[in-house]
Amino acid sequence: MSAVPLYEVKNVSKAYGSVAALTNVSMAVNPGEVVGLVGDNGAGKSTLVKVLSGIHAPDSGSILLEGTEHHWRSPHEVLAAGIETLYQDSGLAPNLSVSANVFLGREMTRPGLLGKLGFLAQKKMDRTAYEDLERIGIGFTSTDRPVAALSGGQRQAVAIGRAVAWARKLIILDEPTNHLGARQAGEVLDVIRAAKDKQLGVIFVSHTLPHVLSVTDRIVVLRLGQVVKDAPTSEFDAESLLGTITGLLGAR
Amino acid sequence: MKHSFQRAGAAAVAVGVAASMGISSGVSGASAGHVSRASGKLTIALVVGASSDPFFQAMKIGAQQEASKLGVNVIYQGNSTTYSPATQIPVVNQVLATKPSGLAIAPTDPTALQAAVNRAISEGIPVVNVDTHVNSMSKVLSFITGNNTQGGMVAADALAKAMHYKSGSTFQVAVGLSSGTSTTDVARLTGFKQEIAKKYPGVKIVATGYSESNSATANTNINNWLTAYPHLTGIFAIDGTNATGASSAIQAKGLVNKVSLVGYDAYANNVSLIKKGVITALIAQQPTLEGKMAVDDLVHYLRTHNTTGIQKAVQLPNITLTKTTPASTLKKYTYPA
Amino acid sequence: MDADHSTGTSVVPPIEGEAAQSMVGEAPVSVTPAGDLSAGAAAPSKRKGLLAALGSQQSILILVLLAMIGGFSIVKPVFFSVGVFGNILVAWAPVALIAIGETFVIISGGIDLSVGSTITLSGVIAGYAMAATTSAGWPSGFSIFIGALVAAGTGLLVGLVNATLINVAKLVPFVATLATLGAGAGVALVLTHGAPVGGGPSNAISLSVPRFGPFSWPAIFVIVVIVIAGFFLHTARFGRYVFAIGGNSFAATAVGISVPRYVTKVYGLSGMFAGLAGMITYLTLASGSPTAGTGDELSAIAAVVIGGASLTGGVGRIGGTVLGSLILTTVTSGLVVVNIDPNWNQVVVAILIAAAVSLQTVRRGIHRRPR
Repeated sequence: MSAVPLYEVKNVSKAYGSVAALTNVSMAVNPGEVVGLVGDNGAGKSTLVKVLSGIHAPDSGSILLEGTEHHWRSPHEVLAAGIETLYQDSGLAPNLSVSANVFLGREMTRPGLLGKLGFLAQKKMDRTAYEDLERIGIGFTSTDRPVAALSGGQRQAVAIGRAVAWARKLIILDEPTNHLGARQAGEVLDVIRAAKDKQLGVIFVSHTLPHVLSVTDRIVVLRLGQVVKDAPTSEFDAESLLGTITGLLGAR
Repeated sequence: MKHSFQRAGAAAVAVGVAASMGISSGVSGASAGHVSRASGKLTIALVVGASSDPFFQAMKIGAQQEASKLGVNVIYQGNSTTYSPATQIPVVNQVLATKPSGLAIAPTDPTALQAAVNRAISEGIPVVNVDTHVNSMSKVLSFITGNNTQGGMVAADALAKAMHYKSGSTFQVAVGLSSGTSTTDVARLTGFKQEIAKKYPGVKIVATGYSESNSATANTNINNWLTAYPHLTGIFAIDGTNATGASSAIQAKGLVNKVSLVGYDAYANNVSLIKKGVITALIAQQPTLEGKMAVDDLVHYLRTHNTTGIQKAVQLPNITLTKTTPASTLKKYTYPA
Repeated sequence: MDADHSTGTSVVPPIEGEAAQSMVGEAPVSVTPAGDLSAGAAAPSKRKGLLAALGSQQSILILVLLAMIGGFSIVKPVFFSVGVFGNILVAWAPVALIAIGETFVIISGGIDLSVGSTITLSGVIAGYAMAATTSAGWPSGFSIFIGALVAAGTGLLVGLVNATLINVAKLVPFVATLATLGAGAGVALVLTHGAPVGGGPSNAISLSVPRFGPFSWPAIFVIVVIVIAGFFLHTARFGRYVFAIGGNSFAATAVGISVPRYVTKVYGLSGMFAGLAGMITYLTLASGSPTAGTGDELSAIAAVVIGGASLTGGVGRIGGTVLGSLILTTVTSGLVVVNIDPNWNQVVVAILIAAAVSLQTVRRGIHRRPR
């Protein structure tokens, strides 16, 4: 682990109107580290994900990438910095093809004037998306099929594939195993381990505690918008983790 | 105007109009009215059906011009697009809440608007009906309307004359309507057909179509008639949208002077098309005169408390305008813009 | 991917922008699904035979159009003539133009009800401008050029008002454009008192008539616009983002697409096209008519829906819209030519819309695998 964390938030607070979603939250992830982010419904996980991915700006506190403070003005800046996010409720455009989704917001354009006008190199994107997904272990016979024509598991595969394919530093996965069968969920965990091997940082948000315990190096527990525990995974077992989340077990 | 309701029996043709105007304009300054506004000015409310209807727009202008001449105010109200008692009743009630001195109303339904008219009268607000009327007219000061059936008749005469009608020959004509539910259109078409049956049996209506209040649709209809009926010799454009659509279609097909066009509504642009020979004849209503007379009657009554000189029922004829109409007459009947 | 499979699978190396994208020689034809995540991805294609038999929405629309032309021609042979086709295309040009703008709006998940009254308003305002230049003695070609600019500008302004109401005042598109629909028609009536605006260039009408067979200059202009718009919608980034926003605006936001900026572009485009349609209608009517565009917003929306777009956004094709608008104007003219009671026009249009939407639903049912 390097001295300076890969991605870090310090004392971040965020309120929606008078409702405080996050209060003085601090957490960090290092290269090659998988950090689990857990908490009950309404604990602030999704808000924190949106702050980390640049969709929401925090009301106060700071965000540091490799020790440098950033004030993200749009999700685009975060993506450009090499941080990919998989959102809980599909971040895919259903009527666009697999490859269009993989390249959404980062399209390859044709050379020359046509490219300047925004005309797309569609075949090249189809091929590249196919290649990239296949390398991750997600094979599609064709990537020009609309996402709407895929099953839930396949869509999740596209979303994960996109995040992994583009991430250069960090992947934030918000409930990536939702709606998946046990076998498919296991494959998602494998993708996370593979990303870790590549020295990417991973923030893994999940309700499924066995998954969290099996794949993470460290766990951050949120309750009512505050961090109540931040400790190595080895310090938790299923019971103590659940107790910490619900608050029935005192946080230390 | 799309919605007039023909008053049965009210036959007085408006030759006597001038009389009533003369009387009211003879009454000067000192207010005899029982309602006095803070400003000291009388306020006449004109409540119509669809306030954006060009017919009512012209009526408003007539009312406003007369009002400024007589030194009174006019409030013009109505639902902007919908001709319906459901939308008119709340408008009348709101207008009455402001306590106008007098009410000129074009009721959208003879039964539904009766209560509002009764309410006004019971509150001491005299009421004039314009264009259409309520069922019980006994306490209504006067009723001023146009005659669309007669308009259809004179349109038939004008078209027959333009086509050089002679008995024994067949003349194909087409009629462009606004919609199938417009009572005005129906009255005009009825008059047109009556006159043809009576005087011009050789005239055959080969097509009728609806513009749905869209002049471009009227243009499409008429373009297609001109293509599908190469022997078409006349078109009766029953309202403003059809007059616009027909005049442009005849020009586009190069059929000016070959197909006679009788249209409705004396807009400045239509009048200029008479001069060009595109429109053979225009049938003009007199909405501005209706508005003016309504204001005259109300102001006369408010200032004198006297109904002498007010005609209880006035039916204004539709006027035929052609190329040979003197310029001054053309100007007189051209709708104000 | 099974566990033993994926351990041997490496995560894609960091991608450093487009330049570093991997280049592949040949598009892969097929690949064995690697695991559960991808298994079944190929399944829907097995149904392609059935789908092909049903045909795409557009090929069905072509058949409907041809059947209509055939039917009308049998009943009334004069229908099959350059004259009638010319009439159809004169009526089609402005409707197609607003339907193209409406296609972008509807795919983006919005709706633009203001296009009909924008036709009216821009035609009237352009009418005043051209009356002024004409009475000032300027050449008619120049007057028409000014008129087109004024009309397009008026439409663009209405579109930007719509976008502002949606982006800033946070009105839903239906309400925002309903407001401008009423306001536009109202302003046109206040300006004209219901009377057409004449006094423009004398050759206006000659520009609107069919000149090359059934094709008029405005029709040719609209065809060119359709081709360009089609390329931008279906093969360029602009259209890609319009589809993405309409399909899932959160997904678009999450990848850094500015939704408000595209709302502005899409409604601005729709408004500008409606303004140009107003100019075309001016030429056709030789005047700025305060009733030129009444109800045209419904024709535009009907054309888009018949063309296969979904009012919930994210779905639609320019080709479908073009066919939808052609079918609508063919019905209108056809019923006039064969002299059927014009009340049937509304009935036929209603049947077409219902049929098109059910067809869409049926086809989507085939496309979508049960989960």
